[in-house]
Parts: sequence; C-alpha cells; structure tokens
Amino acid sequence: MNYFVKGNPDLCIGCRTCMIGCVVVHEGKHIFEIDPDSYTFHPKLHMVKTARLSVPVQCKHCENPACMAACGVNAIYQEDHRVLIHTETCIGCKACMDACPFGAIDMVTVAGVRQKDGSEKKVANKCDLCQGVAGGPACVRVCPTQALTLVTEEELEDLAKRKRMESARSTFCEVYHCDEFSYGGRE
Amino acid sequence: MMKKELGSFVIGDGRRCTGCKACELACFMVHNQKSNHVGMTVGTVGVPVVPRLYLTRFEQGCMPIQCKHCEDAPCLNVCSKGAISRIEHQVVVDEQLCIGCKDCMQACPFGAITLLPYAKDGCLVPQSGSSETKVFAAKCDLCKDIPQGPACVNACPHQALRLVDPEAEREEKNIKAANALFYMKNW
Repeated sequence: MNYFVKGNPDLCIGCRTCMIGCVVVHEGKHIFEIDPDSYTFHPKLHMVKTARLSVPVQCKHCENPACMAACGVNAIYQEDHRVLIHTETCIGCKACMDACPFGAIDMVTVAGVRQKDGSEKKVANKCDLCQGVAGGPACVRVCPTQALTLVTEEELEDLAKRKRMESARSTFCEVYHCDEFSYGGRE
Repeated sequence: MMKKELGSFVIGDGRRCTGCKACELACFMVHNQKSNHVGMTVGTVGVPVVPRLYLTRFEQGCMPIQCKHCEDAPCLNVCSKGAISRIEHQVVVDEQLCIGCKDCMQACPFGAITLLPYAKDGCLVPQSGSSETKVFAAKCDLCKDIPQGPACVNACPHQALRLVDPEAEREEKNIKAANALFYMKNW
C-alpha cells in the first residue's frame, strides 16, 4: 500500500512552514541566497485556509490513482509506496489535474526550459513523499505544531485493527451488560 | 482571484454522451459563420462539415475528444512552420500558415488533431500548383473568437461537455479535501 502525509486542521496554524520546507528540500538551500524574483516557488502541497480551518492538502498517493489512469503519455507511475510523475515525459496536458479529486496536482514552470514558441514549459507537480530524502517528508519534519503525519501501511492497518477491536468490545459489552474493562470472558 | 496561468479546455463525459454529434455541428457552424457564411440552416452549408472536436465511439460508449491545450504542447513544439502558437494560454493553429505536414497530428497523444479540407468564402481552397484541396490541422481553439464561449458545451443536449478552468477547480477541490481532513482529524 502507498504511504501518504495527512494534515490535522486542529493543530495547523497556517504558517506555511511546510510549503517552505517542501521547496527547500526539493530545490536546495540556495533559495535563501538568491534574488527572490529570479526564483519560482513551487511547493508540492497547498495550504488551504477557510473561515473554519487551515490545513495543508497534498497527494494521497491513491492505490488506484485517477491521475495515473488519466495520463495520456504514461508519465505517472507507482513505485516504492508512492505515486510519482516523470516530469521529462509530462506534456502538461492537465488531464491529471482534472482527474485528481483533491486538487493535489498543479502545473508549474520548468526553470530554463522553453517551448518552441518561447513560452514557458509547464509540467505537473505534486507530492513525491520526498523520495530519496533522508529522514522522510520535509513537511512533517518542519511543522512547528506537528500537524502533519506520515501515514504508513502498517499504521493504517493497525488503526483499522484497533478500531475493529474497540467496536467489537463495545458491542460485546452492550449485549452482555459487562464492564468495558473486563470484556475478556463470558462468565 | 489568482492570475490565470493555465489554458482552459473542454472535456467530454462518456457517461452522458449519446453520440448525437450536436457538438461537432455546433463547432463547425461557429467556426464557419464568418469565413464561409454558414448559418443556422442546412441550406447555408456549402462547404464540407469540418469539426474541431471528434465524436469517438469505443467499446463502452462514446464521447467527444478534443484538444487539452497542453502546457508543453507537443504539436506546438513539432510544428516547423510556426503555425501553432499559444494565444492567451490557448494552443491555436494558424490555418493560413499550416502546410499540412501532419507532424502535429503524429505528435498529439490524444488524436485531437486531424487534417481536414480548408474552405474560405464558401469555396474549398485549392493548393497552389495543384487542383487538390488545401488541408489544415483542425483542432479545438476553445472558440476564442466566439463571445458565448465554447459552442460544443452550449450545444450539447445532455450536458456531456464541460469547460474546465483547471486552476479554479483545483482550488475548489483543495477546499473539499481540507474539509474532509476536518472529519478525519481524530482518525
């Protein structure tokens, strides 16, 4: 199963440190030293702020990715518990952007590469779970309020198992009118 | 509202489409009103019916296929005449410049371009030095000169065509995903 990063709106304060962490880890620390106008800032997650909440939204690395199915040039693939985009193959057709129900994909310019008519080349951009980065996703590491978590297959299955056990316990206790903490036997 | 940076496109819905080809006719009509005096009735049609989107039948049903106005458009990149350019984010063919080399047709991964007969002022235009009809790369230009927007979308009796503003839709989907995270925050 693929892994993914999940944001918690109760803990998120909307500071956008995750977005900066994302750009730094993908582009290198030189972004702090160069002229801001010469650099395009392309985080792979989006901070959503509404009247009710603030939380970053990013790719859920679906098991049957709609983006991958929609891609006409096979630029999207699954590897190493994640869904990835091969940006050299991408032609910027936006089919994945339309297919993704979470708005996790956007189109970004590729520095130094132009189309034949001189206009900027744009390709699909989305979370790659910091592939090849030691210590895992940067957004999770930099968040000052620990509002982001990397969810792994084991955790997700543990969670489901725990919830199944809890619901079994409570159903059992309800039927046999027993104390919740002594569910172990029927006698 | 954020500045528009991506090309819009029209996308078909295979679940709604009945294959009536009203989209193809509407497309032909609006693109030939001025140049070929085509009106609302069949009697005014003196040139071949040449659409810029293609109703496509396949095993599971049918739907129109049209240009996605790619952000790194392969057709634009291969055109050696410079007949394909990006005008206000949309990929547009200059029919006068097109020499019918078929390169764009081969480059497009969606089959959104076909070479079709070129007519002007109600007559087919002959090739220079031959009696054969001149052809041009016919593809969706998102009805850039038509005030009511894409004719295919308006003509469809089953709302099987939709004009996609990728950036606005991505943001909407982001907000939905953020709201969903609110309900999942405690697992």
